Amino acid sequence: MGLLSIIRKIKRKEKEMRILMVGLDNSGKTTIVLKINGEDTSVISPTLGFNIKTITYQKYTLNIWDVGGQKTIRSYWRNYFEQTDGLVWVVDSSDLRRLDDCKMELDNLLKEERLSGSSLLILANKQDIKGALTPQDIAKVLNLEAMDKTRHWNIVGCSAYTGEGLLEGFDWLVQDIASRIYMLA
Amino acid sequence: MEDDTLNPNLTESTEDASLQKKHSSMVERLSKRHQTGSDNSESSSPSFESVSSFLSRFNLLKTTIESNLAQSQSLSSQLKPHFDNIAASISDLEKLVAENSYFLPSYDVRSSLKTVSDLKQKLDNLNSQLIPKKKFAFKNKGAKKDSVFIPQQKPSTVANVVSEKTSSIAVRDSPGFRNETGQVLIQDCKGLEVGEFTVSDLDSCEVRIIGTVRALFVHRLKNCKVYVGPVMGSILIEEVEGCVFVMASHQIRIHNAKKTDFYLRVRSRPIIEDSDGVRFAPYCFTYQGIEDDLRGAALYQETGNWANVDDFKWLRAVQSPNWSVLPENERVRIVDVSNMNNGKEEI
Ligand SMILES: Nc1nc2c(ncn2[C@@H]2O[C@H](COP(=O)(O)OP(=O)(O)O)[C@@H](O)[C@H]2O)c(=O)[nH]1
Ligand SMILES: [Mg+2]
Repeated sequence: MGLLSIIRKIKRKEKEMRILMVGLDNSGKTTIVLKINGEDTSVISPTLGFNIKTITYQKYTLNIWDVGGQKTIRSYWRNYFEQTDGLVWVVDSSDLRRLDDCKMELDNLLKEERLSGSSLLILANKQDIKGALTPQDIAKVLNLEAMDKTRHWNIVGCSAYTGEGLLEGFDWLVQDIASRIYMLA
Repeated sequence: MEDDTLNPNLTESTEDASLQKKHSSMVERLSKRHQTGSDNSESSSPSFESVSSFLSRFNLLKTTIESNLAQSQSLSSQLKPHFDNIAASISDLEKLVAENSYFLPSYDVRSSLKTVSDLKQKLDNLNSQLIPKKKFAFKNKGAKKDSVFIPQQKPSTVANVVSEKTSSIAVRDSPGFRNETGQVLIQDCKGLEVGEFTVSDLDSCEVRIIGTVRALFVHRLKNCKVYVGPVMGSILIEEVEGCVFVMASHQIRIHNAKKTDFYLRVRSRPIIEDSDGVRFAPYCFTYQGIEDDLRGAALYQETGNWANVDDFKWLRAVQSPNWSVLPENERVRIVDVSNMNNGKEEI
């Protein structure tokens, strides 16, 4: 009986992955999602509430939830945690002043029990901007080494403008999620 | 591993999945339609992709929840399951908004989410009023946290990017103007490749940024005038008071601004949050060669977006009281710094 239910679960998730984009406002979440989907990124208004995008990526269907980062709605993030397979935490690597804020929000998010099983991709975005911190620097500031050992995580530098690094990051995320989900198959 | 057959939520989550699939295929079709730019598939769009049918479903559910809430007072026993049911319906309502959000106008998304949070608040209030002892909280109904994940079987794919153990790095300062009072501060970016630029902690200063920068951060300014050329990326403004900003950018976000005027050209809708007494007008800055810079930054065209301000703290259809259009007779005329260019140009 237990096995049956496991199989059912695998079936349900087989090709679909639910990915949550989070991070401070202005970090580039919406731009990244559009860029990955090959859409025009020249005019993007700040996100109020959330956008949901369904993207075919390799053989998977990614259901990407792009949640607005404004303070007013940060408390809504919680509503998107159910069934999240992958978390993408986006950092504006050129926004040095708000790195503390960024670290605090990330730490809070990772305390969420409902997210403890999800893979975590940290995108150090806006690498195209001169003066942006490197992914290594970001990793230090966010103290990623201290992360819970059971967490699957990775940090990748990227630019939503040039597209550089995005595929590397999402490839890792999708592979990591797939390997967790299919482990039992 | 817990057994799903004992989990009363299983049927519900299966339903979610199929709903989600439906939703996914819709989104796909929609985006395809947008991509091809043709609307020949328009006729096949399902009827529930309409705002009005969403609203009628939403309102039906909402009314049901409200009448259930109203009944609570008269119930003497079984209050706990009653409240649990209501909480579940509110979660469903919230999901309905989420499922439909991709085609709803942002106003409807906002107001629906507001309704949802109001209902939650009412429920919480009733609950603490009628069941005072136990703390009630919204729970994750599903509680089906990745039971498929067995942590030990695969070593975590920890990226080894941090080689040396440095507890904290000294965050270096980016180029910018900081901690000044009563100064005229001029940055000429012509011929330089300026990435991000910061303007912070200024009192009674005038700032001029000539040329193009990639990103601009503005923080804690009082009684300042700030004139900037095109910003290729975004501008983030926080904690300003009694200032005038004249700026052009792809995106502008304004947080905690008081009594400040913004003369903007912006490709997307400017947003304000936690602000009041802010007024908006079109961009009016000029220096020698600004046309080329604006063209280079795709900001040559007036978009009219300077007046399309979204107030993230104001979730209603009526005009936000926090911002207004600056009356024409109060606007400054063109700010022309062509002849004050840092002494570089002869008058
Ligand atoms: N230079 C640069 N700007 C970016 C990059 N990614 C996003 N932006 C800009 O940053 C601003 C915020 O992006 P947006 O996607 O709206 O951020 P969100 O609030 O996280 O969704 C926009 O003006 C984008 O054009 C990047 O990789 N490089
Ligand atoms: Mg966004």
